[in-house]
Amino acid sequence: MALNLIRIASHEAENPVGCSLKEAFELLEPKLRPPLAITIPTPQEYLLLNKAILYGVLCETHFAKTHIKHLHAIVIDGYGLFASLIATVVNELYTKLVDPVKCQLIWVTKEMIDVQAVGIHGLLVCFLRQIVGGDFSDGNLWLCFEIVSIFLTKWDSLLEVEPMILTSGLYTYLPLLADHYRLLSNPKLEALKQLEIDFCIKVLREQFSVCLKIGRDLVRLLQDVVHIPNFRATWKDLVLNQDKFKTPGFSVISQLYNTRTSSQYILLRISPEMETQLRFLLTCVKLGSQKRYQAWFAKKFLCAPNRETLIVDIVRFICCAHHPPNEIIQSDIIPRWAVVGWLLKYCTKNYVQANVKLALLYDWLFFDERVDNIMNIEPAMLLMVYSIPRYIDVTHTLLEFLFLLVDNYDVEHKDIIIRGVSSSLRVLVKKGVICSLDVLTSCDALSPVLKERLDRFLSGAELEISRG
Amino acid sequence: MVSLKEIVPAAQNNIDTKFILLDKGSKTIEGHNKTCLALVADETAAVHFQLWGDECDAFEPGDIIQLANGIFSYNRNSLVLRAGKRGRVEKVGEFTMVFVETPNLSEIHWVPDPNNSKKYIQDAVISPHSRIFPPKY
Repeated sequence: MALNLIRIASHEAENPVGCSLKEAFELLEPKLRPPLAITIPTPQEYLLLNKAILYGVLCETHFAKTHIKHLHAIVIDGYGLFASLIATVVNELYTKLVDPVKCQLIWVTKEMIDVQAVGIHGLLVCFLRQIVGGDFSDGNLWLCFEIVSIFLTKWDSLLEVEPMILTSGLYTYLPLLADHYRLLSNPKLEALKQLEIDFCIKVLREQFSVCLKIGRDLVRLLQDVVHIPNFRATWKDLVLNQDKFKTPGFSVISQLYNTRTSSQYILLRISPEMETQLRFLLTCVKLGSQKRYQAWFAKKFLCAPNRETLIVDIVRFICCAHHPPNEIIQSDIIPRWAVVGWLLKYCTKNYVQANVKLALLYDWLFFDERVDNIMNIEPAMLLMVYSIPRYIDVTHTLLEFLFLLVDNYDVEHKDIIIRGVSSSLRVLVKKGVICSLDVLTSCDALSPVLKERLDRFLSGAELEISRG
Repeated sequence: MVSLKEIVPAAQNNIDTKFILLDKGSKTIEGHNKTCLALVADETAAVHFQLWGDECDAFEPGDIIQLANGIFSYNRNSLVLRAGKRGRVEKVGEFTMVFVETPNLSEIHWVPDPNNSKKYIQDAVISPHSRIFPPKY
């Protein structure tokens, strides 16, 4: 008996991806039974056959091995098409798949790693994006477990194909680990936590040179796990002892700070469905009409307990991975800063709010005009300015947090941070994001202490002191 | 497929359209069946939609719904769009559709067309927005 691929609720339309796989299977079913007749297919037939075999693997669990043998016999493209079909299923159907099909999906992915299929990195990225931050449901923990197990058991193959895969895994599992550690005394989590620690430490210890390519967000993520045994020691070793990574004059840390994290990493923490909704909100919805959309988004992605940590990733996504073109910026579409303002208000836990503010201001700290994008720092500035005077508490909390970061984020590298924040402010004015900083320095509603600090900072005195 | 702005009251099951569900009222029993009034809209107009039977639980705010062979007519004195016995509703997506809450076709007073008594034309706006689901925000 073949399984159903997906659960279709009552009054739900058929899914086109699911339908096309099923149709291919039904059309070719006689040819999928042994003895298999192997012929040379046309490209069209090859596509159909790949779809039929994938449907067979996923839905006929008892014949899965036969179907895979068939695939091995007919494959002519390094499994590229087959792997891309699996990726489509993961991206578009994962949440709807019935549980046994999810198990088959993991099984067939391991098969693809064993044959070093073309596109395996992309496929694993699809799985990583289905893992939801702050979601402690059985289904999500199962997926965390299966994927981290793949990373550990298939380590050598993955390393041989593309070491960057491991950095994608690290980027996903560090914040998961922080989440999983925060929830105390859950016996179900113990085994998973151990695997996550083993994997993350292994990547850091054995492949640190590749990890450096993640850039500054790696430091942000590591800070949330340094309280976990092993991590502090590993981190110290890496920072202090890895002389071979040091460029003369630069510490390992400053090298990381100077590298802007690619949006490919930022996207790992955002599921495709979430990405679609966020981009729609920021591309099509007019300012003033956003409230219903925000309520729907929150109900679907943020409402369950512990989900708030996701807001950190959403803010990083908005700053680093969604850069609207000028037509949108000049239109009446809801601007990014307004969505960030909503998300900031949505946080109820202090540590989440602090991490959200850090996410929003993070690129300010290391901003370098030559390598950084002004779009990453624009939302924080506009949120501060447009919150005057009605939401002056938002301006206060952000400006206060910015100076808190300047003073305390990394006292060893205070010079880098002062330089970063100074050039952020300068470039934001130079490029016309705001006309002048007078809007802050002459703002009556702003607390005198903050204004004075800002004046002092702008006078360059702190920059001079940091230069020694 | 028509946009909501184009529909007029008629005793015919021939409306094919797509809209997003904005709000749902409480369920009531009508005869032997559950019904539930909902506010739906597309980028041209909004209208009250009557969910019937298991449709009441199948759809949530934010769902994008496709209606085939629907009917827009008076039901117990209120003007609603619904699938009716011959029509069909299906969820085809979520979230990614723009909408307006005004005009609301259920809040318009319609009169027979003097030139064609079988047709209705708009007479007056009773309320720019739904009075049952007033704008929340």
